[in-house]
Amino acid sequence: MDMLVKKSLHSLTGKLLLTIGTLMIVGSTIFWYFLFRHQEKELLENSVKYAYSFVDYIKKSTHYGMITAQSVLIQQTIEAIGSSEGVLSVRIFDCTGKIAYSSKSDEAGVRMKKDSPSCVRCHGTGLSPSDKPVVSFIRNSENKRVLNIMHPIYNERACYTASCHFHSRDQKMLGLVEANVSLAHLDKSIQQQGIAITMYILIFLFVISIALCTILWNLVSTPVSLLKQGMERVAGGDLDYTLDIRTKDEMGDLARAFNAMTSDLKKTKVELVEWGNTLEKKVQEKTQAIHMAQAQLIHSEKLASLGRMAAGVAHEINSPLTGIVTFGHLLLKRFPPGTQEREDVEVIIEQANRCSNIIKGLLGFARASAAEKAPTNVNDVLDRSLNIVRNKADFFNIKLITEFDESLHRVKADASQLQQVFTNMIINAADAVEGKGTITVISKNITDEGQPVAEIEFRDTGTGISPENIEKIFEPFFTTKPVGKGTGLGLAVSHGIIQDHGGKLLVNSKMGEGTSFFVQLPAYREEV
Amino acid sequence: MSKGRILVVDDEDIVRTSCSRTLVPEGYEVTLVKNGFDGLALLEQGPIDLVLTDLKMPEIDGIEILRRVKEKWPQVEVIIITGYQTVDTAVKAIKLGAFDYLEKPFTPDGLIASVAKAFAHKKTA
Ligand SMILES: Nc1ncnc2c1ncn2[C@@H]1O[C@H](COP(=O)(O)OP(=O)(O)OP(=O)(O)O)[C@@H](O)[C@H]1O
Ligand SMILES: [Mg+2]
Repeated sequence: MDMLVKKSLHSLTGKLLLTIGTLMIVGSTIFWYFLFRHQEKELLENSVKYAYSFVDYIKKSTHYGMITAQSVLIQQTIEAIGSSEGVLSVRIFDCTGKIAYSSKSDEAGVRMKKDSPSCVRCHGTGLSPSDKPVVSFIRNSENKRVLNIMHPIYNERACYTASCHFHSRDQKMLGLVEANVSLAHLDKSIQQQGIAITMYILIFLFVISIALCTILWNLVSTPVSLLKQGMERVAGGDLDYTLDIRTKDEMGDLARAFNAMTSDLKKTKVELVEWGNTLEKKVQEKTQAIHMAQAQLIHSEKLASLGRMAAGVAHEINSPLTGIVTFGHLLLKRFPPGTQEREDVEVIIEQANRCSNIIKGLLGFARASAAEKAPTNVNDVLDRSLNIVRNKADFFNIKLITEFDESLHRVKADASQLQQVFTNMIINAADAVEGKGTITVISKNITDEGQPVAEIEFRDTGTGISPENIEKIFEPFFTTKPVGKGTGLGLAVSHGIIQDHGGKLLVNSKMGEGTSFFVQLPAYREEV
Repeated sequence: MSKGRILVVDDEDIVRTSCSRTLVPEGYEVTLVKNGFDGLALLEQGPIDLVLTDLKMPEIDGIEILRRVKEKWPQVEVIIITGYQTVDTAVKAIKLGAFDYLEKPFTPDGLIASVAKAFAHKKTA
């Protein structure tokens, strides 16, 4: 509760209300005070006027009695007047200070002392009296306000010419009229008026505050809290939020600016997210490309080091092999054909030749790592490779078919390496068809991922490759051929060479039906 | 009377003996040296018909020996023996006037055939 009050005091509406309320209360109080004062003054002035006319009325009503010196009549008149409502007492003093007549009949004839309150009003503390009427407000024994008026009775012609000869001509003042009139009525009406004014002001204040509260609530608090809520939503990430304040005032402007800001923010965020997404994709693509390039590099590096090693091994091993072969042959001559010794030596020579073949295969790697690439017509290279194998005895019963595309793209390649690959493919196919069957060599243009590519297919009607083997055929030293026949390096070296040319070596095989190897090389493009 | 005088230059002992054991029974006079210096010194001393030289040797290699021989004794034939053949060196050797190119490991028959061809060529020349 305390908190709530504190909070609402600190709110904009609270502050405004407090300020305006305070100002209004102060203003109304001042207004109230002056109005009240003015009213009171007016009423009092009226009552003073009334008092004068009242005194005048007393004088006039007793005039006849005075002139004709009928004291009983005067006394009766005074008593009658004194009995009127609101009149407390009426007295007529003579010039010696004796009460000549009074509304209270028992007072008549009493001489007032000079220091009695009635006398002091005109005479003050000294003895020379004022000859002007004196009006004063006093409080009676019941603490009610009373208007007291002392009015001198001046000498006039009718007085000193009257038959009674009571007053001489040179007397100036003949006596005084004193009247005490109750102001209770007046005070009551003043009080009532005060209460009425206060009520009016309070009601006015109440109505004004209610109106002010409502207006402020609608104009300030509601939009501000909406705005705050909107900001919180936006800060929380809800960029679809729009403020529904359509007024034409500053709050409306603020809301419109806020909505514009939110939609801008959203647009920017969407752009940012999109950018992030494409960036991620780009990074992925680049990463993949880098990985591939790295793999390629590692592969070529492997190939190169394998080549260097092969060259070293070839150089070192071939000399001892020469010795084995030579001395084997020398021994061979000493044993006549058909002897066990001769067969044993033949095994030695055979195995030495096998070693020599393995080393020649390894040398393929050495050559693969030293390519000299130039724009090459692949069909020509295919022709050369086919011519080499065609005359071999193994190919006598094999049907060789060629389907070349004369407009085949040229490729940037090392011709001797390509020839090595093609020869390899053809010999593999010949091995697969086991001496009789068909080998078809097809060259054609294709597009791979939108890029022009020259493709060469080596199709055979051979044994095919089993699924578990097809994964291993590109590994160095993998072979299914009998010992001495295959080293398992042909496809490994070919794969390395084709990869080094930026191409692909693919295989498609069906057990029992045949195999197709595809060499794909990117078309050579004239550098501009 | 020998069929001809042959100088074998090779840093590998086994290759040298293989050559002599193959060629001596065929009736050739074979001299074995294990480096280029000795080979060239021998060439200075006496007449040689054919030089069989390894390609890869420390200090003076086969190509260098081929060049010197062809400079000073153009009539002497040279057969290059090599551990492994590259297109580059083969082309270079043939251009410099080598008669043949033998890949290790060679068989006795292959060596004899190549040497015989060289001498036949020499005779017709
Ligand atoms: N056209 C083909 N049809 C069936 N199998 C094949 C074919 N080509 C290759 N292969 C299989 O792939 C294996 C590996 O071939 P690769 O050319 O690498 O070695 P290789 O032919 O055995 O020996 P090398 O080529 O070194 O003499 C072969 O042993 C064979 O099993
Ligand atoms: Mg093969």
